[in-house]
Amino acid sequence: MSLSKFKRNYYGYLFIAPFVIGFLIFGLYPVYNTLALSFTDTTLMTKNANFVGLKNFERLFADNVFINAVKNTWIIWILNFIPQVGIAMLLSIWFTNTRLKIKGVGVWRALFFLPNLLVPASVAALFFAFFSFYGPVNQFMVRYGLLPEAMHYLQSVPVTRGLVVFIQWWMWFGQTVIIVMAGMTSIPVTLYEAAMVDGATSSQMFRRITLPLLKPILIYVFVTSLVGGMQMFDIPFLLTDGRGSPNASIQTNNILMYMKFASSKGHIGAASSVGVLIFIMTSLCALGIFYFLRDRDNDAPKRSWFSKKSTER
Amino acid sequence: MKRLSYILSVLVALSMLLAACGSPAPAAVTEAPATDAPAADATDAPAADAPAAELEGTLNVWAFTNEIRTMAIAFEGRHPKVDVVYTMIPMTNGEYQTKVKAAAGTADSPDVVALEAAFVKEWVESDLLADLNDLLPLTEELKTFPSVVEVGSYDGVTKGFSYQATPGAFFYRRSIAKECLGTDDPAEVQAMVADLDKFVETAAKIKACGTGDYFTVGTPGEMLNPFLANREQPWIVDGELVIDPMVEEYVKFAKLMRDNGYESQATQWSEGWFAGMNDTLKDANGTPKKVFSYFLPTWGLPYVLIPNSKSDTTDTGGDWAMINGPMAYQWGGTWVGVLDGSPNSELAKEFVKFVALDEENLTNWATGVYTNEYLKAIDPETPDDQAQAGGDFVSSQVVVEKITSSFDNSDLAKFLGGQNSYAAFAQAAPSVNGALLTGSDDAIQRALNDPLASYLNGDITEAEMYAQWLDAVRNEFPDLVIPEPPVK
Repeated sequence: MSLSKFKRNYYGYLFIAPFVIGFLIFGLYPVYNTLALSFTDTTLMTKNANFVGLKNFERLFADNVFINAVKNTWIIWILNFIPQVGIAMLLSIWFTNTRLKIKGVGVWRALFFLPNLLVPASVAALFFAFFSFYGPVNQFMVRYGLLPEAMHYLQSVPVTRGLVVFIQWWMWFGQTVIIVMAGMTSIPVTLYEAAMVDGATSSQMFRRITLPLLKPILIYVFVTSLVGGMQMFDIPFLLTDGRGSPNASIQTNNILMYMKFASSKGHIGAASSVGVLIFIMTSLCALGIFYFLRDRDNDAPKRSWFSKKSTER
Repeated sequence: MKRLSYILSVLVALSMLLAACGSPAPAAVTEAPATDAPAADATDAPAADAPAAELEGTLNVWAFTNEIRTMAIAFEGRHPKVDVVYTMIPMTNGEYQTKVKAAAGTADSPDVVALEAAFVKEWVESDLLADLNDLLPLTEELKTFPSVVEVGSYDGVTKGFSYQATPGAFFYRRSIAKECLGTDDPAEVQAMVADLDKFVETAAKIKACGTGDYFTVGTPGEMLNPFLANREQPWIVDGELVIDPMVEEYVKFAKLMRDNGYESQATQWSEGWFAGMNDTLKDANGTPKKVFSYFLPTWGLPYVLIPNSKSDTTDTGGDWAMINGPMAYQWGGTWVGVLDGSPNSELAKEFVKFVALDEENLTNWATGVYTNEYLKAIDPETPDDQAQAGGDFVSSQVVVEKITSSFDNSDLAKFLGGQNSYAAFAQAAPSVNGALLTGSDDAIQRALNDPLASYLNGDITEAEMYAQWLDAVRNEFPDLVIPEPPVK
């Protein structure tokens, strides 16, 4: 290796150093530390901690609480993700459709994105006030005969879960619209023009052109939403009592982790074990998504999706 | 060569960055012995003599209420060279508790923390608070209620003091009592609610009277404290959770109040609960509803009931009376402690002394001397709503005896139709039992809320409620032995 080549490589390392160092300190070290803590009984209120092996994990599976939290997280995320992507696709198709020529696309997009700018705490407080027993929703429903008598919305499992799903959808679909639209506008118009010349219908163009070319974007949306969904915390935490009431039906993974962290002595060891399991679960699912949605048509037989991805970029 | 020196300088900068990131830990280690030394000196000199020297420095105080901020400003008034940096974090959903726990022992640790009754024991039992035993002689001088000192002590070491004593009371509406019970006389009404059976009979009368729009109580939550205060054993004995029979009694009682429509179904600390205090409660049809009574302790009168008794159109002031209710109890209270290893431990101790063990401050506090004008003269940046109304019940019997008669014709007495609440609380305070509080109360009780609400609504059975509650407790206390549920 010549000196000049070495220097060139050296500069490359220097340029990526800030990211690598930042990642090591703020990315890798916390993960490592969480893993290390999860094998101990460390608390915030006592000075000594012991290595307890897998005991924290055994306790998670000793009763139904952890499984219930995982179940809640998946239910809420799936119920929110399907309409989120569905409606984002629909709106993006309308907005990018050259035949419809919708006016003020930028304005609509901004309006859809607005809820995302609200502070989750104030959104949760707003819904809490609306749906409280003596709140305006009950007044409206009863006075207009839609309900025979006032009900405790936030103590009903389907209503409370529904509210969390709705709020998550409402806050995040604008973001998805923007990403999906960006993906759609990046598809060359010439493809559609050629298809139209060949007499393709709208649905054919959608299935044969839009969807395949949008796949990388959809995978991105899918994975980021999954990661975000598995870490869902603020809205379900703030909407009721911070413990996922009613009936622990909106107690997500992260709420359970926080509850262990904030419990009487601050059991950070036990909380870390929840974090580790969320990490493993999310990683496996994200890898699964990449694997199942990989581009099969052009796949050379022995190429893994890793190399595939790296050549694409 | 030039390039090399450039690269070297970048590397030096990076390594400094790394060193900076790693520094908090070693700094904390070296600080600890340094702060131990003055603390050890302090125990030799009697603390009472300390104020002779002028105090100066900056003190970090964290609290979940703005009450102590008023005292912090008054403290700055007495010691002009002291700067108190006050941080308030709300207690909603345990946010304050978590933040303090996370900050203790780090570089961001406050010097003084306020601790609520629900979690004060957790701190007193931990290694994180400093020993304040040398302030104990002052409690004898001021005749501080023994239960207040007991709560702040563990294993013979006192680590927290409180300016309040918090016996509970039962506040009811005189107009509803007259209409439904035939009298508004406190002694006669007390006889009608003297025990739980009589309480239920009275609740039935109140429901049946008039157009049936009166509730006896607002929420199940406020009835919990009287039951808990009458347990035989605390929540945790020898590492095992104890479900005292009074807990089961409470569940049965709350269910009975709900099923018979004696309770408004509001949520404690929510709009509906407060609306009942000023007669603006309306059900979903718009029918006005009234709430007969509220279980509130000493601080509940000046800080909860009176401020909420007025709306734009209504004012229930003067229509209230105060009695003991079915059971003696206590509820809440704020203790202050000094974090161990605080670099300002002397100043912090002086602050605790001022807040909880200073006759002048306690008198000023209880008699409403700390008005906005008073506070703004010390610190012009005082917010407009910082003044605290008088009437809070203080922990010193010496002060209580001196000021009780001053409430005879006060606004407080007018609010209660002429009753002197201070005198009534003074009678109730010595019976408070501090031994039932443990460090885990907060978490155990909060874990009960959700299953109980579902049970009261009829969504789950009593057995399911206990199972859910015990599961939740088990998840927060990994080492606690959990008994079989009382109902299966």
